[in-house]
Amino acid sequence: MNLRNVITIWKKEIKDTIRDRRTLFSMVIIPILLMPVIMIGMFKLIESQTESQKEKAVKIAIANEDAAPQIAAAITQQGKVEVVKVDGDLQTAVAEEEVDAAIIIPADFQELVVSQKNAELELISKSTNLNSANVSAVVSVVISNYNKQLLGKRFGAQGINPEILSGVTVVNRDAATAKETSGYLLGLLIPLFIVIYSIAGGQYTAIDVSAGEKERKTLEALFLTPAKRIEIVLGKFLAVSTVSLTSIVLAISSLYISFTYIGDIGGSMSAGMGATGMDTSPFNFSVEPQAAILLFGVSIFLVLMFSAAILSISIYAKSFKEAESYISPAYMVVVLPIALINSMPTFEPALWHYAIPAVNAVLLFKEVLIGTYDMGHILMTFASLIIASIFAILIATKIYSKESVLFSS
Amino acid sequence: MEPIITVKNLVKEYGEGARAVDDVSFEVGAGEIFGLLGPNGAGKTTIIRAISTILSFTSGKIEVLGMDNQEKAGEVRANIGILTTDIGAYERFSGRENLRYFGELYGMEKKDLDERIEELSRLLDMEAFIDKRAGKYSTGMKQRLAIARSVIHNPRVIIFDEPTSGLDVLASQTVRNFMQRSKEEGRAVIFSTHQMYDAEKLCDRVIIIHKGKTVAYDSVENLKIKTGTGDLEDVFLQLVATG
Ligand SMILES: Nc1ncnc2c1ncn2[C@@H]1O[C@H](COP(=O)(O)OP(=O)(O)O)[C@@H](O)[C@H]1O
Ligand SMILES: [Mg+2]
Repeated sequence: MNLRNVITIWKKEIKDTIRDRRTLFSMVIIPILLMPVIMIGMFKLIESQTESQKEKAVKIAIANEDAAPQIAAAITQQGKVEVVKVDGDLQTAVAEEEVDAAIIIPADFQELVVSQKNAELELISKSTNLNSANVSAVVSVVISNYNKQLLGKRFGAQGINPEILSGVTVVNRDAATAKETSGYLLGLLIPLFIVIYSIAGGQYTAIDVSAGEKERKTLEALFLTPAKRIEIVLGKFLAVSTVSLTSIVLAISSLYISFTYIGDIGGSMSAGMGATGMDTSPFNFSVEPQAAILLFGVSIFLVLMFSAAILSISIYAKSFKEAESYISPAYMVVVLPIALINSMPTFEPALWHYAIPAVNAVLLFKEVLIGTYDMGHILMTFASLIIASIFAILIATKIYSKESVLFSS
Repeated sequence: MEPIITVKNLVKEYGEGARAVDDVSFEVGAGEIFGLLGPNGAGKTTIIRAISTILSFTSGKIEVLGMDNQEKAGEVRANIGILTTDIGAYERFSGRENLRYFGELYGMEKKDLDERIEELSRLLDMEAFIDKRAGKYSTGMKQRLAIARSVIHNPRVIIFDEPTSGLDVLASQTVRNFMQRSKEEGRAVIFSTHQMYDAEKLCDRVIIIHKGKTVAYDSVENLKIKTGTGDLEDVFLQLVATG
């Protein structure tokens, strides 16, 4: 084998890719910009949602407001609360969401308080109306404060310290820092991004150097040179791999930098996800050097395997478009199950799972990112990926030697 | 005449039974333009691909410069320059960059390659556009780039497959001049075409193929005498009708 030919072809394809806006876009622009754009978008979304929640006041109707003016005033002072007058049945008004909730104060409220009897406030809410729940919370706070004052006065009048009223209280404090919550997200996104870009990063280059070369009618001229078929395949294959690896490095760097610089947003993002029922239990996150090396090492073989695979697929196609239509479904078949496994927090993989190419990469990434280094898993993953890469390259070379694929009329 | 290319009993079947080339034999010597003639689908491109080692064949034997083209495929390719029917170029590369890439793959050293590019650029009148991106070339410019590419390594054998189809008069003239010049330089030139008029003007000897079979193999002069016709077009029509 003539290494000079491999290098000549490799260099040419890289240069060609850099000059192609389409491939440059999928290799550099998308990986760099995708994450910051998503994060800023999420941030804006969360911001606008909280803003709109702030602006929208909940509506409350109060019956017999005059019977307990202090309570009515306290509720009104809560902000975000608008007291509206309703004529007619309050139950119906709440049911029809004319108001979000209604409070009925008994007409003899003052007498009951003065005579130290229990005064019952009736709160009408609707559980399917989200604002109703907010009103309940507001009313509870107001009443509890009112009760404290009232009971304090009553106990004080009897010479008893009101403190005896408080038994156990709970003080909330969130131990998760913004850094940790964004760390959780990074642990989720890094494996997924690596797999996605190991295919998507070099996809256009792979199509361009095979189906694209057929379409432009340059492939036959290339085969007419003394370069051996294996040299041609290796040169193209190395070019595709280089492009994929570059886009992985760019994507992960951009991801990391985004989280560092827009860290707060990471926190609010995971808070937002927590609200949607995802597990956001944070762990202390930092990528250790040996984890970074493993990540990179596994990425290389992942890239080699996928590059050979997409190169093989795209030489079957006669045109750029046709190749794209072959690769997109293949891509989904690979990425979907991996995305699924990646997001299953309780999945306990067995050793044989580490023999499945691509799946093993994600599983390994997840554990090294939390500082678990299992020698068996690491060796199994590398062995599996190396074997798969070699097979993929051999298959690609075979396909590139098939006359029916190259000269189909 | 010492043969540069020898094709002996060449048979090529695509799939089962369908013979695209059926027992074709011929020789081409140095300093001649040899016509590989026949209508569309006769089997010309198949024969050329077989000679150039990129297509396997069912049976027969092909030698180029005394080398068996299956045993010494790489060396055979290094000594042949082929202009394919479909011409293409790397469109994001300039003409010069295209030529450099192929020159390197033919194993040329940088200095020789740069000199050769200058020479071909002058010869094919490409100086005005050689440093522009090939994607912007007209058909005529692309054709000249394709010719330059096919002979960048100064091969002793030149094969042009339908080089004038789809070209205007001026561009075809460039191609014809180039073949004439190569012949004078002592190269073996194969000119494949279905246009008998072009062939008659340029070729010394021809082989006429029809449906994969040889219908004639002789000098142009002899064929005219044998068939008693005035030009190659009539020769062809008569041979196909009787053959
Ligand atoms: N890759 C192929 N697969 C199947 N049949 C082919 C292929 N290439 C050419 N043929 C057939 O072989 C015959 C000769 O084709 P070709 O060599 O291209 O003729 P020409 O160059 O003289 O026009 C035609 O009938 C064509 O359909
Ligand atoms: Mg042809």
